[in-house]
Amino acid sequence: MLNYIWSGLIIISLVFAITQDITDLVRDTWRNGEVHEIEIIFPSNGDPGSRQTVRFTIPDHDGEYEAVWRPVDETYEMVITVDEDMPEFWLDIAENQEAASETEMLAEVTSYDPQAGTAGILLPEVRYVKLRAITTAAFDMAEFAVTLAIGLIGVMALWLGLMKVAEKSGLVYILVRFVQPFLRFLFPNVPRNHPAHGIISLNMAANMLGLGNAATPLGIKAMEELQKLNPSSDKASNAQCMLLTVNTASVQLLPPATLVALIGTGVNELVISMALATLVSLIVGITAAKTYERFHPEDPHSENIPDEQKSEA
Amino acid sequence: MQTIAAFILPLIIVMIPLYGLLKKVQVYEVFVEGAREGFQIGVRIIPYLVAILFAIGMFRESGAMDFFMMALGPVLGWVGFPVEVLPMAIFRPLTGSGSVGVLADMVATYGEDSLFVKMAATMFGSTETTFYVLAVYFGAVGIRRVKYAVQTGLIADLAGIIASVVIVYLLFG
Repeated sequence: MLNYIWSGLIIISLVFAITQDITDLVRDTWRNGEVHEIEIIFPSNGDPGSRQTVRFTIPDHDGEYEAVWRPVDETYEMVITVDEDMPEFWLDIAENQEAASETEMLAEVTSYDPQAGTAGILLPEVRYVKLRAITTAAFDMAEFAVTLAIGLIGVMALWLGLMKVAEKSGLVYILVRFVQPFLRFLFPNVPRNHPAHGIISLNMAANMLGLGNAATPLGIKAMEELQKLNPSSDKASNAQCMLLTVNTASVQLLPPATLVALIGTGVNELVISMALATLVSLIVGITAAKTYERFHPEDPHSENIPDEQKSEA
Repeated sequence: MQTIAAFILPLIIVMIPLYGLLKKVQVYEVFVEGAREGFQIGVRIIPYLVAILFAIGMFRESGAMDFFMMALGPVLGWVGFPVEVLPMAIFRPLTGSGSVGVLADMVATYGEDSLFVKMAATMFGSTETTFYVLAVYFGAVGIRRVKYAVQTGLIADLAGIIASVVIVYLLFG
């Protein structure tokens, strides 16, 4: 399933990007090669033959804009400083041009009339906007993934350190006794008094209280405990699928901090609606996982049995 | 409730080593031993996160996401699902930071007291970024064949999304 979703995302992205870019070329959305008329105002005693800062106006549009005028061989070019008041079309070009800059764009001067002060310029050509966008997105997100993972390390080390102490001191086993009845139903294949029960309950408690940065390391620790019982090294067990489902349903009784930051105290009104919605998603999720379990029967004492089943959902 | 949350973390952080000390555990050494795993897990999940996040990033940037929202809009409007909250419903299982962006955008567009923002906020608070959870949790233990976990995660999300709309209608609508 994940194989199809994953490759589907990539293939659909490519198809959409190419379609969009071809449509742009056919419709000439970016009007590549079109000459735009402007009026140039040189500073007093300015000489068009030398590099200098000039101002210019666009016909039928209010406002004066800045550019650096520079002679190149027989002709001239302008480095235009992008200004929010420019026509929409100019801003779009600046944003989507091939050069990485969004604050400047390079225009080629095709004609210059010193008497009238008018000039015709070619704005940068814009092509393959979406193709470039998805490429950038792929690289940026790959980098972001690493930042994210590295950012997790500190919190993770803290919690896993604490959990190790809790485990060695027997604290986890005290907790296990309390939550056993409920968790036995969700994770029937986890043996009685197994530390996994304790960690799972801590993970759930952290989720409920909206402690996201405690919930993740605890969830991972719980996943590791379940992995010790999993006969396969790379295929999820039913218990692991259940743990994941419970975590995506995310039983939350307290609003997450980001929500408070975004909508302020109004969030208090939503506590009830969130608790109800999360309860519905939890019940439905557990029911779904329990239903799937029937089609993937597992031996309850399946410690250390080699991986034989190859069936993939 | 908020008070409990304020106390619970410091309490846990202090109680665990304290209890360990009482039970004569070498708390410092054991802590370091456990913490070392944190680093290994952080590194182990990187390939999984890269795989999931880059595909989602491409999907978002290609305009495919916008297209599906446009295509689904009329259908959903017909069954009474407000089109305005559709971006949240689609973004939420895919990207955490993306859905924060969607919500921020909705607050700016509709105002924080609007029904749409209430629905979107309820969705945000009641479901998780399924694909991120999948990558991190399974990545940490090296699970590549996820069996039916994607389906059950998405079913749970869908239930939460529909429940958010219905419940907010009933409570505030």
